[in-house]
Order: sequence, then structure tokens, then C-alpha cells
Amino acid sequence: MGKLHPLEQLLGHPAIWRGRSTAPTDTLSTGFSTLDAGLPGGGWPCTGLIEILTPRTGLGELRLLVPLLARLGGESPARWAAWIAPPFEPYAPALTGYGVPLDRQLVVRTAVPLWAMELALDSGACAVALAWAGRAQAKHLRRLQLATLRGRTPGFLFRPLSEAGEASPAQLRLSLEPTPGGAVVRLLKSRGGAREPMELSWPGDHGAA
Amino acid sequence: MAQRERTQAGGRERSGARPAAVAAAEAGPQPLGQGELALQTSSESAECWAALHFPLLPLEALGLGPACASGRPCVVLQSEGASPRVLEANEAARRLGVLPGLGLVAALALEPALEVSLRDPRRERRLLDRVAAEALGFTPRVSLEPPDGVLLEVRGSFSLFGGASALGEALLARCAALGVQPRLAIAPTPLAALVLARAGRPQFITADDRLIGAIAPLPLGMLRWADATLARLESVGVATLGEALRLPRAGFARRFGNEALDTLDRLVGRRPDPRRAHVMRERFRARCEPSFELTGHQAILRHVEPLLVELESFLRGNQSAVTGLRLRLWHRTRAGSEIPPATSIVLRLSAPEFSAARFGPLLAERLAQSVLPAPVQRCSLRSGELQPLIAQSHSLWRPGEHGGATVAEAPALIERLRARLGAEAVYGLCLVPEHRPERAWCVTEPGLPAARLRSAAEGATQAARPEPGRRPLWLVQVPQRLPGAPRNLRLLDGPERIETGWWDGREVSRDYYVALDPEGARVWVFRERLPPHEWFLHGVFG
Repeated sequence: MGKLHPLEQLLGHPAIWRGRSTAPTDTLSTGFSTLDAGLPGGGWPCTGLIEILTPRTGLGELRLLVPLLARLGGESPARWAAWIAPPFEPYAPALTGYGVPLDRQLVVRTAVPLWAMELALDSGACAVALAWAGRAQAKHLRRLQLATLRGRTPGFLFRPLSEAGEASPAQLRLSLEPTPGGAVVRLLKSRGGAREPMELSWPGDHGAA
Repeated sequence: MAQRERTQAGGRERSGARPAAVAAAEAGPQPLGQGELALQTSSESAECWAALHFPLLPLEALGLGPACASGRPCVVLQSEGASPRVLEANEAARRLGVLPGLGLVAALALEPALEVSLRDPRRERRLLDRVAAEALGFTPRVSLEPPDGVLLEVRGSFSLFGGASALGEALLARCAALGVQPRLAIAPTPLAALVLARAGRPQFITADDRLIGAIAPLPLGMLRWADATLARLESVGVATLGEALRLPRAGFARRFGNEALDTLDRLVGRRPDPRRAHVMRERFRARCEPSFELTGHQAILRHVEPLLVELESFLRGNQSAVTGLRLRLWHRTRAGSEIPPATSIVLRLSAPEFSAARFGPLLAERLAQSVLPAPVQRCSLRSGELQPLIAQSHSLWRPGEHGGATVAEAPALIERLRARLGAEAVYGLCLVPEHRPERAWCVTEPGLPAARLRSAAEGATQAARPEPGRRPLWLVQVPQRLPGAPRNLRLLDGPERIETGWWDGREVSRDYYVALDPEGARVWVFRERLPPHEWFLHGVFG
């Protein structure tokens, strides 16, 4: 068995990222095979800020995360899934229908979503934190990115698509636009991953034409 | 020791004018102090009592003790009596010749700039209570000796603290942290320890056979007998404890009463001396009255912090924790003004807590939100019901790392969020077995409902569990009216009729449709079955 070249050993370090190559990162499966194949590392990163940009709320961004919420809900040390400043009420019967355990959901109504999100990410008491925010300064996003690294918690931040032009320190940025019965996901910023848009379809959705 | 005591007492006997009456009447019977005790050879006593005597308590209770750095001459006045007299004076005042017992007028003549305060027995008692709470950290057997003493039975604690002197040092250090300077003595009986402490003899006597020798030379006044008794004893030439102990028992009892004899017996340990154990209060209460008015939040917090520290030591001593606190800030008010007398800040915690480091930031958050209508004159802190403290081990891993436990962090997060956003802003979700969509869920206390929900509504929720995709992930809690017919909506599925609730006056009668709006979002809309058949948006599939 030949030993790895020292240079390759060095380049294998998770902290080193080279262009479109995929650095080995811990990931969580998204529940969608197309998306898993397209995301660097094969899923949502376990730590880091993930920005999801949509033209408006309610276009499928929650549907995208439901498999993740259901999976994290089954993990053994019970941790919260924090919903920070959601635009509407998370509807409990629908969440139960997708297998998301209700006793691990924590809804936070606040006018300062980024503060609450930093707290949630930092505390280590959350398995995942979802926050809805409009405009945000890059320095605040950077604080969130650092908080996810400290608390080892993935943080999903939902923002309008109009913010796509702004600089962001997020680890992963993607845009989501609806299609009949599914959505198209584009990676705006990622450490590796697919360049082409990914077509997702929502399986089992009633009335998905 | 016994030998020395005998010679000392004997020497006084020879020099003192021992009244012939006493000597003649009690010829023969056994003297009080000797005999049995001299025969005892066991070196270590069964009990050891540490006595703390607070000579400067009136000053210290008002924050004017030697720990106070101002250096201004201060005196505390005796509150009762027609002509006020100086009860206690601090070092600066004593240097100017203002001594305890001086009249107020004379004292002011000596030093016109004298700071004069009235004695406050309630604050003295509170300070003693605090000392007793600290003392519970050394032994469970603590007894108050009002007005100025605290007793601790410390025999069992010697090995833990590394001997009597180390324990004494630790005890004095705790007292110094409270701003009091007690005199400490340790003796086999509580009364002997008190007498030694009052006499200012910092002796640590842990052996029975050294007891008599140590207390014999002390004046009888240390026992705090009535002045008349002391004067009569003085008149027969008995001024020290040793001399009193040498008197024959029967005659002593006849002349000075059985109680006095009983006291002497308890002093030397011939009779048991049971003490009432100090019991902690059921709730914590403390107040802080600064000498000036507090206006800023920071100033208030600085004054509340010592109360929190006090609370922590109280809770630790009790091995308990609290889930609620109430801080009241009392304002300066004038008659007829609209300002309420006090602002209450109530802190509710989701899990029992005892540490000041946790209460502090939460109170600071709550304080930052409240608007104070007037300057604050005093603060009072009160705890909720005490709950037994269950110590938890910390997890080896950081939370989230290798599945480290997060039980401890979860309540902390909720409390910090609630402290700033209010209790209603943070909630969990639970199902309600109900067909009306807006009533099929409810807000609940986060985290807890799992077990309750499963047991109570298992069957119902399982049965009513909708298949995925039939219900929207987002609910618009109050349905939004969609003006006009839904010309811009494309109906994908429906109708699903929901017609129920006639029994409680909130009847619904609706036809629900899944529809696609022009921007491509799937929405959940309904049409009222009753005229005027309006359309409403009730959910977004998200």
C-alpha cells in the first residue's frame, strides 16, 4: 500500500478548499437525491450558515427542509429545531404528516431574528436553526457563520432573492424558484458542487400537477 | 491545667475578702467547678462549639463597620430611652474621644461633624441570619444567639477543614466577605465558647480538661446575668467565673436561684445544653437600601448583584434551587403623584437554577426593557418556591460534538430568549384533535409536550394524522380575504369540505381547495359555503 504523497495529505485537510474541488465536509442528507448529488459533500453541511434565497416566502423552501427536520427529530440527544421569526405559523398537523416531531420544534417570534439566531446557534441546544430575515449586513452574517462553527449547528437563513447581489460570508448560498410540482435550485456560492441548476420534485404532494 | 486553675482561684480566695456568711453556711459540700471535671482524663470533647460574637454588629449592620472605608467618624445611637446615648462608635470616632455610653450632646460637642445613625435591630438580625446561612456551609448544627452571637457545632467538620484553626480561619474569611468582624472562640460547650468570644479570647479549646482553666479567669459579666445578681456576687467578692464555680452548690442555688446554678452547670458541660437549631427560611428575601437614589440601570444592577450572591449562598446552604424570582424597585414617591410605589420585575425560569451568574444576565435583560418612572430608593429581592437541587454532571463533549448531551443548555437558551422577547414569544407546537384547521394545533410550553401529548391524544392524533401534502406547512392563522373570485388562482385540487363546530358558536362551513397562485406558490384557499361565498387564503404549502 503506497503512502499518500505529503502534498496530497496536506490538500486532504478539511480546512483547505481548492476551486471547484470538493473538500471533505461532514454533511447531512437533504432527502432529495438530485440535491445530494449536486451539493458539495453530498448534502447540507453540518456546520456553517446556509442562505436560501427565494423570490418570496412560501415557494417550497420549507418543503426543501422537511426531510432534514424529520431526520434530525429522530436523533438521540433531543435538540431543538428553532424557527426564528417565521412569516406564518408553522402548521403542526402538516409537520406531523411529514414525520417532523413537534416536541422538538421551538418557535421564536422576534423583531431581531439575527440576534435570536446567533443565540440559538451558539447555545448548542439546537440541532438546526431556521431564520427568516430581510436585509442583513455582511458583518452580521459573518457573526452567524462564526456562531454556527462554535455551536456546531447548521443555520438556515431565508432571504429574498433580491439580496443575491450582496456579498455574503455564508458557507452555502442557493436560490430556489418554484416549478409546477417542484423547484429549481441553483448554487450561488458553494465550496464545490454542481454548476447546473438542479430540478427537484416534491414527492407525494397532493395536487402537484 | 486543673492544677493551675486551682492555684489561681486559690490565690484570689486568699487575697479576696471571701464573705464569712457564704463560707460558714456551705462548709463541707462539694464546690461547683471541681471534682468530677478534674477526674476526667479524656482529652477530646464529644462536641466542639464555635462561637461568633459580633461586638460591632450595630455599626456593621448599617454598613459602617471597620470594613467600611470612608474613615469618617460615625456613631450608632441607642434607640430607646429619653436621652440618646452612643451605643457604638467606629475607630475614627473613638480616636476623637467619642466612646460608647457618651450622651449625644457631649459627642457632638467633641466632634460636630459626627455621622449619627439610629440603631436598627432588624438589620442586625438580618445580618445575623446571613452569617448563619454562611455558617451552614460549615456544619448543619447552627444556632443563633441574639442579639450578637452565632453558635456552630463543628466537631464533625474538623477533619474536612483540616483542624480547628484552619476551620476558624475559613469561618472568619467568610465573615469578612460579609463585612463583619466577629470574635471567634471554640470550646466544648456552647456557653463556654460564647463567654470566651465575648471576652475577646480567641482560644480554640477542643479538650474537656482544658476548659475550666481557660474560662476561670474571665469576668462573670460575660454570662450576661442580671445586674442585680452580678452586684450581689461582686459584693461577696466573686468576680470571675472560676470564683463562682468554686462556690458550694446548695447555697449558691438558694441565694442566686436554680437558673444561675443551671447556667454554671451548662457552662462547664455538667448539664446538657440543647440549642435551637437555626432553620433556613422557606423563601429567600433580601433588600438593599443604598444611601442615595439609583437612576441608571447599571447602578441598579450593581446594587442587585450582592443580593444575587446572597441568594446563591442561601440556595447552596439549602441545597435547593428556584424557578422564579421577583425584584421590586421602590421609587421615590410624593403624595398625590401618579407614580406607582414600586416596579416589579418577575423572572421565570424554565428549569430550577441557583447560580448568581445565571440570574444576573437574565435580570439585566429584563431590566433593560423596563422603563422606570422615578429614581429607585430601595430594591428587594424575593425568591419563588424552593425546589430540591438536583446536581447534574456536565457532559464530557461539547454540545453537538459526538452527540454530547444538551439537556443543560436547552432551558438556558429558552430563558435567554424569553428574558429579552417576553414569555409569549417563545413557544412549542402541539396537536389538538379538531377538524377546524386553525384549531387543530396550539401553542404550548416548549419541549415538554412530547410525553403528555403521546399519552393523552395518541389515538386521536394518529387517526387524524394527515397524509403528507394535504395540509399546508404554513398556516395563515387568521384567514385573509381574497377580494373577488379567484380569477388569478388555478385550482389544482378540491373541494374538501370542512363543516363543523356548530356546538361552540364558531361554526365553520368551508370548501377548501389547493390552488396555484400566479407566482407559482401553492396555496390553500377556501370558499365560504354561506353567502356571500367569499374566498379566503388560509395556508401556503411552502
